This record gives sequence, C-alpha cells and structure tokens, in this order.
Amino acid sequence: MARSGRGLGSERVREALVGYAFIVIPMFSFLVFSIYPLFYALYISRYEWGILGKIEPLGLENYRELLRDDLFGKAVKNTLLYTAVVVPCQMALGLGMAVIVNQALRFRTFFRAAFYFPSLASSAAITAIAIFILSSDGLLNSLLGTDRAWFADSDTALPSIMGLNIWTTSGTMMLFYLASLQSISTDVYEAAAIDGARTWRTFWKITFPLLKPGHFFVLVVSVIGSLQLFDQAFIASGGGGGPNYATTTMVLYLFQTTVQDFRFGYGAALGVALFVLIFTLTLIQRLLFGRTEAA
Amino acid sequence: MATDETPATPAALTAEQLSRADEAAAGRPPIDIPGRERSAVTRSLVVYGLLIAVALLYFVPFFWSVSTSLKTLPETVGFDLIPDNPSLKAYRESLTSFNFARYFGNSVFIATVVTIQNVFLSALGGYAFARLRFPGREVLFFLVLGTLMIPDELRLVPIFQMLTDFPVTHWSFIGSYQGFFLISLVGAANLFLMRQYFLTIPRDFEEAAKLDGAGYFKTYWKVMLPLAGPALAAITILTFQGTWNAFFWPLIIFLGNEDLFTLPLGIFQFRTQYQTFWPHLMAASVIAIIPIFLIYLFFQRYFIAGITAAGVKG
Repeated sequence: MARSGRGLGSERVREALVGYAFIVIPMFSFLVFSIYPLFYALYISRYEWGILGKIEPLGLENYRELLRDDLFGKAVKNTLLYTAVVVPCQMALGLGMAVIVNQALRFRTFFRAAFYFPSLASSAAITAIAIFILSSDGLLNSLLGTDRAWFADSDTALPSIMGLNIWTTSGTMMLFYLASLQSISTDVYEAAAIDGARTWRTFWKITFPLLKPGHFFVLVVSVIGSLQLFDQAFIASGGGGGPNYATTTMVLYLFQTTVQDFRFGYGAALGVALFVLIFTLTLIQRLLFGRTEAA
Repeated sequence: MATDETPATPAALTAEQLSRADEAAAGRPPIDIPGRERSAVTRSLVVYGLLIAVALLYFVPFFWSVSTSLKTLPETVGFDLIPDNPSLKAYRESLTSFNFARYFGNSVFIATVVTIQNVFLSALGGYAFARLRFPGREVLFFLVLGTLMIPDELRLVPIFQMLTDFPVTHWSFIGSYQGFFLISLVGAANLFLMRQYFLTIPRDFEEAAKLDGAGYFKTYWKVMLPLAGPALAAITILTFQGTWNAFFWPLIIFLGNEDLFTLPLGIFQFRTQYQTFWPHLMAASVIAIIPIFLIYLFFQRYFIAGITAAGVKG
C-alpha cells in the first residue's frame, strides 16, 4: 500500500511537470507581451520618456497634459462621435439581416455569405476600394451628380469612415445575432402562433426581448471595436489623421505619439486613458443590462 | 466516428445548428407555390426584393473594384461596369513593377507561420488546462483569461520599446519577421477555445490510451488531438485570416523595411505614393481579398462556427 501510494505520488509529480511543460511557452508569451506591458505602461506613464530612455519623473503630469491637449480632445471627440453613430447602425443592420436570413428562404446560405463578405476582407483592401469609390471622380459622385472628395473634405471624412465600417462590420454583427436567434426555443414561436400573434408583433414582443444576451454581447463587441478605430482612419488619411484632424482617432494619435514622435511616457498615458475608457464603458453596459434584468 | 459521440462544443454546436437549419429550410416547400394566399406571395416578393437589393449594395463595391482592375487608367474615367477591353495588365504590373508578388509571398509566409504557432501552442496549452492536474492551474488560467481584457493600445508603448531594444539581450526586432512572430506566439482566445473543446471530450479515450501504456504526450498527440479536429480547423482558419488581414502590428514592426511588407502594408504604401493608379490599386486589393474569399467558400462552416463560438459564450 505504501508503495502504491508513493507510485501515485510520483505519477502526480510527473503529470504536473508535463502540465507545466505544455503551458510554459504560452504562459511566457502572456506574461511578457500582455501582463508585463500592463504594469510597465502604468509605470512609464509617470515619466517623461524618450527614445533613449528615462528623462525625468513627472508624477501625474502626463495625465494632466492629456486634459489640456487640444489634439487629444479632438481625438476623443472624433472617437466618441464615431462610436455613437456606428454602434447603433451596426446593431440595427446586423439584427435586421440576421432576422431575415434566419427565415426559411431559398439561397439563404448565399445571402448570409453576401452580407458577411465585406467583414472578411482586409481593412486595407476595403479602405482602398472605398477611397476609389468616394474619390472626387469616383462612382458615388457620378451617382449623386456631385464632385466632392469625400475623404479629403473635413466635413465628410469621418462620416465616410463611419459609412465604410457600418457596411463592413454589420455582417459580423449579423453572425452574432444569428447565433443568438438560433438559441431561442421554437416553442415560444409556436405558442405565439397559436395566440394568433402577427409577425411584426411577435418580433417586438417575443424575439427582441429574448435576444437580450445577444444585444449585450453585440453592443460590447461593437463599442470596443469602435473605440479602437485605427486602420481605416490611418489608411484613408495617408497616416496623418487629416484633413484638419477630422480622422484623428485616439489610437491614431497614440500611434503618432509613440511610433513617430517617440514620446513613450505620454503615449503610455494615452494608452492607459483609452484602456480606462473602454473598461468604464463596458462596465456601464454590464450594469445597465444587469439592472433591466432585475426589473 | 468517435467524434459523433462527443458532446459538441459551443463552436461545433453552432456549426451543426447552422447547417441543420439550412437543411430544414431547403426541405420546406417553395414559397411561391400556387394556392398560397396573395399576401404571402407579396410578402415573399418584398423579402426577396429587399434581400437582393441589400446583397447588391454589399457586392457592388467589389464588382466595381474587379471591373476597374481590368481597365486601363484612361478608361476608369467612364462608368461602365464591363470594361471595353478587359486586360490583366494592371495585375501584371502590380505584381512585378509594384512588388505585390513579393508582398503576397510575405503575407503567405507570415500568416502560415503565425497560424502554425497558434494551433500548436493553443492546443498544447488548452489540453494542459483542460486535463492535466498541476498546482496553480486555476490561477494561471484566470491570468490567461485576464489578458483578453488588455487592449492592444495599452501594449503598444511597452511592446514597441521591447521590440526596439529587447531587455537583457538588446536584440532589435523592429523591421524583422521574428518580432511579429514573437508577439503573435499564441492568442489567449485560441487557447481558451481549445480548452473548452477538450473539456467536452469524454475521459474514456484517455483512460484507454493509458491502459495501453501511452505516456502523456503520446496520449495527447495520438488520441486527443485527432478528436479536436473541428476546434483546430476553426483556429487555423480564423488565425490565418486575422494575420493575413492584420494591419496595426505589421505596420509598427515592418514599416521601415519594405522587403517585409505584407499585402495590407503594400496597399497602404501604394495608395500614398501613387494616389490615382486606380486599376493597379484595385488589382492589389482584389489580390488581397481573393485568398480569404476562397478559404471562406470552402470552409464556411468552420468560419462561422469559430466566429459565433464567442457569441454563444457571451
């Protein structure tokens, strides 16, 4: 008995060692490239820090500078405006398409693929296509009979990116809603049909409220994605965030501060601010959804 | 055969649900059979009309870019969807004179390496977290999930600094493939997906392997991994697509070294330098989109399952 007990012990040790061996590289990667950066960013954000290293400790001065920085203010404004427009549109479109594609239709696989297709493509390629179509002698102008350079005009540059991303990402939101729709039991609908409820009414009274977990998930994903807008703004503005800072988003400003100006301390403070913003908004959404659930 | 008995993961579940729903839809009578109420016919007309209109709206930009890529520059001024003399000249020139053949090769290489890394490491780690017992397992797993909440933006400054001058060794990874491979070793979401999948496979398979005297690695490699096919497929496809389309980190790491450019970076640079060479820009965009489109066509099931796995969890 003693022997078998010891045998079990060494077997345990062996299993544990194998376990550690299996996770050592992934854990290294998470520690070095995610967890360490989190703390390092908090640390360095309290310094004036350049390409050659530490210059001087600033305490919270970088954060105070953020509040005074007009360009940062503009970036926050652009990002929030973009989020406020894009999120509801993506959700409504995604839901609408999911509901339609979820019905018994011919060619539904085809339609689902068609709606999802723009979400698949590379942001650079899609943005290039949008730049072409929205150029001053492009397709959109010829359809509207105008000659506006949509991305080069500070009034229309950001709205153009909004339109572009509503178009490309609504397909992903559709897939999320589709998964959520298919988790609703068909019994509910049968009961509604027996009661003689009309389609429209069934949708608003039954489907829509039952989709609550889906709404929450899509909302969170869509808000986080919108706050992190970078690719399309960067490519459409040739990296500058123009015209007249109309497409300078928070991440784009962060990129310029860090990779182009090498202001690491200030960049880290910017990253922390964005992290806090994302975290707070996600928390608020959770609280809001939690409360309606309790009511 | 064996996989039929295993309970489905969220991912597999979704795939099955989706395909089953398709079959059910196909099995129903056509909508416009005679004898139906007129209102039903009108309704289906409206629905299909709407669907086709939206599908067109979603596709027109792609048709337009393909059409333009087959035109010559002077012809792009007109608005014919079908080019007068379609030619592959823009494709030829993009690939050769404008280096897109090289960017294409780089994209294939980078996406392949990152995909292999991710599949191998996420399966290995996911299996350990699902099945092997070791002290600290729960805490470490919690840590892995926690990293999902740290956005790239917060990591930018530390990682950029680290890659410029790596701690201790003072290697510089900016302008090298290795830097990108290093920061893309394995995604926490992939590891999570693998763990969830392994949890659903009954223990009987491992017990049987153990009775046969197989060691831990052999059990994992010969018995468990083959059972995890659907999850591995979803991770392969999504990682490949994600890396192929990636812009942010490649931009940061490869920007100074054109030899390493991927297709998205090539498109960005071309657009900035040559502004209105529309046929070439569109040809390059089509080249960047087509491979992912083909993968989607052939592996649609895994694609959708992988994407919606997250949705079902949430």
